[in-house]
Amino acid sequence: MIELAAVRKRFGRHAVLDGIDLQVPTGARLGIIGPAASGKSVLLKLVCGLLRPDAGQVMIDGTDITERSEEGLAATRARIGFLFQNYALFDFMTVGDNVAFPLARRGGLAEDEIARRVSARLRAVGLAGNEAKMPAELSGGMKKRVGIARATIAHPEIVIYDEPTAGLDPVTTSKVYDLLRADQETTGATVIAVSSDVEALCRFVDTVAFLYQGKIRYQGAAQTLTDAPDPVVRQFVRGDLEGPLEG
Amino acid sequence: MRGLIELWGVFVSTIAGMIRGGRPKGEIVRQMHAIGNKSMLFIAVTLGFIGMVMIYQACMQFNRVTGDLSQVGVQFIRLVTSDFAPTLTGMMLATRVGAGIAAEIGSMKVTEQVDALRMSGVLPVDYLIVPRFIASVVMTVVLTTLGGAIMYVAGGLTAHYQFGVNLKIFFDLSLLNPAHLSLGLVKAVTYGAAIPVVSGFCGLRAKGSSEGVGWATTAAVIGSSLAVLLLDFILSVAGFFVLGEALR
Repeated sequence: MIELAAVRKRFGRHAVLDGIDLQVPTGARLGIIGPAASGKSVLLKLVCGLLRPDAGQVMIDGTDITERSEEGLAATRARIGFLFQNYALFDFMTVGDNVAFPLARRGGLAEDEIARRVSARLRAVGLAGNEAKMPAELSGGMKKRVGIARATIAHPEIVIYDEPTAGLDPVTTSKVYDLLRADQETTGATVIAVSSDVEALCRFVDTVAFLYQGKIRYQGAAQTLTDAPDPVVRQFVRGDLEGPLEG
Repeated sequence: MRGLIELWGVFVSTIAGMIRGGRPKGEIVRQMHAIGNKSMLFIAVTLGFIGMVMIYQACMQFNRVTGDLSQVGVQFIRLVTSDFAPTLTGMMLATRVGAGIAAEIGSMKVTEQVDALRMSGVLPVDYLIVPRFIASVVMTVVLTTLGGAIMYVAGGLTAHYQFGVNLKIFFDLSLLNPAHLSLGLVKAVTYGAAIPVVSGFCGLRAKGSSEGVGWATTAAVIGSSLAVLLLDFILSVAGFFVLGEALR
């Protein structure tokens, strides 16, 4: 269970998150949506301790991670896979080494076994045979899929996807979500995903939280999002130009 | 002030990281090549020319005052060993190596690669700064030795061919003692340690996009150069207190 209690985060004078309360049960799939620069990526980074909140608590399975040192967070992060918005592939490593990195750092596996798992994972994301390429040789969509392979290769208990399908065409988007769903069903991982493609995201997640002006404005079932009682949420989801949504 | 405390924190983490291990295999050798081998020509040319200019100026001044050039080489090697070679090498490395380290780590920071390392349980200081720190310390000593030798030889040849100084008199090492060598070695090691720590710290503080990397690179060059000058002053004063007469 992931819990955020009264979490606040400011950058300078701007309060990005202003009292977030959120619970994500183990094995659940939560989607986070909201306007640009509403703090979605910041929220994800708080969950895995890449950022520290100014106030409030972030708890994973009852353990408060907000006061932990970098060394202390290593064990928690080993349970989390993270797909970064801009891929964050190590540009000095091959695709194969990038995907192998979490397994290699964790230790306990022979090099042959790591190589076998890397090949299998790259095949699963449709990039078989690309192990020797450098990230600079890949297209944006391919980089995104390498990022997914790296985030999920160690079968983490919690997987966080920051814009998993940004810049992908509709067919690839569907393929990626099919892959993420199949992965989640196999591992039973807790998933938090942020996406601007609300329609595709809602087909993948069970519940959706709408982040607006530093607060969770709405949280409910993904299937009923378009009928949300809040007009701000409805306007955002439907993409209407007229309405109460600011900015 | 907060920045200085954070910089100190990076230095302490770097020392702790050397004990912890966890750096990538073969990275120290790669960094030694990048910092040392690739700076060799730059250092050799720079220190060689500075050596020639200094001796040219010194001989001209001596000629105006006393006309006795017999002490030029003897005094020059003492200065080269205890100060010029390590400090000029340090200054040159602060620009070339400091900028490179800050740009590399800064780019990784703004493209979230540093966060990706952290997500894999890696401490960025251990992975990125420690190998550069070890490589820089070793290669600064090597480059100081090389640069000092070239500076001395270039100065000697200038004195001989321009002012007729006997080579045997110029290359007289009788007044050079272990105190000069010790002070030079301490300075080289200290600068070699300071440059990657200051530059790595600037890289890790990079924010935003390419503009942030540019800021980090500029800050690294200024910070590393200032660190070399400040440490030169501190170590020179400390050297005179500790080694005393031996340096005079």
